[in-house]
Amino acid sequence: MATTTAAVTLTSDLLSDNMSVSASTTCMKAGTTADGLDQMEYGYLDLPTGDEYDLIATTPTATKASKLYLKNHSTDETYYIAITQNTQAIGRLYGGDWMFIPADFHDSDGDIAITANGGTNKICYALFHEGTALLAT
Amino acid sequence: MATTCSISISSDIAPGFGGISESMTLTQAGTLTDIDSTTGFAIRKLSATGAAILVDMSQELIETKDSTAAKIFIRNIGYRGVIDKSVGVTVLIASEPIGKLYGGDWMMIPLTGVDADDVSVNPATDDTVVIEYVMFFEEN
Repeated sequence: MATTTAAVTLTSDLLSDNMSVSASTTCMKAGTTADGLDQMEYGYLDLPTGDEYDLIATTPTATKASKLYLKNHSTDETYYIAITQNTQAIGRLYGGDWMFIPADFHDSDGDIAITANGGTNKICYALFHEGTALLAT
Repeated sequence: MATTCSISISSDIAPGFGGISESMTLTQAGTLTDIDSTTGFAIRKLSATGAAILVDMSQELIETKDSTAAKIFIRNIGYRGVIDKSVGVTVLIASEPIGKLYGGDWMMIPLTGVDADDVSVNPATDDTVVIEYVMFFEEN
């Protein structure tokens, strides 16, 4: 079985006592306890301003499990990537920010779309999944 | 100290993949100033299918500043120490399903903070499951 694990440590001093949360998960295929995600894409891109782009060119099959990591590697903190899914604004990743989500590619409009702001943003992404509908030439 | 979040991903799917290890300090939009507000850490117990709101943006005790650098951490922690990898909880922003958190899974995602963009969860079954979460945002 392929094994992909994702661990997180979150700390904050915004509360009266320091908060610290650590967690780790093994990324499994949808609804199973015995079989891990076994396919992945990994890339590092320049994202120019001016247009909205689909981050994932091929569409992992709906109802299957996917995990998406995306980081904005821009060194200018004023630069950001606007994230949308199916026209719903999700949020912004400023330079240095990352996100990790269980992406739901429920239909062709469910792709994660990204738009650069401030200048050309540099991004790194990794998609871990269990099946892709490849685009025919 | 500030609010920081680090991630470490390891995988043997692709030969030669060296893994990912990154950390970020949560800051206010477009600056290096630390993020200044949080909902605090909370849990929500779910025992039936149907969407339940985790964060009602228009009802937060401290109003969120729109379209800035808000983020939320959400984790499916199972129930009473039992983590079921076969049962998932769908996380939604407004009415858009973002993805399904199976037992033990976690996510960290940016948010708009806009009043209409509530964060909701919808379990796939009536089995009891507990979701823990904390949102960080800028005060309006």
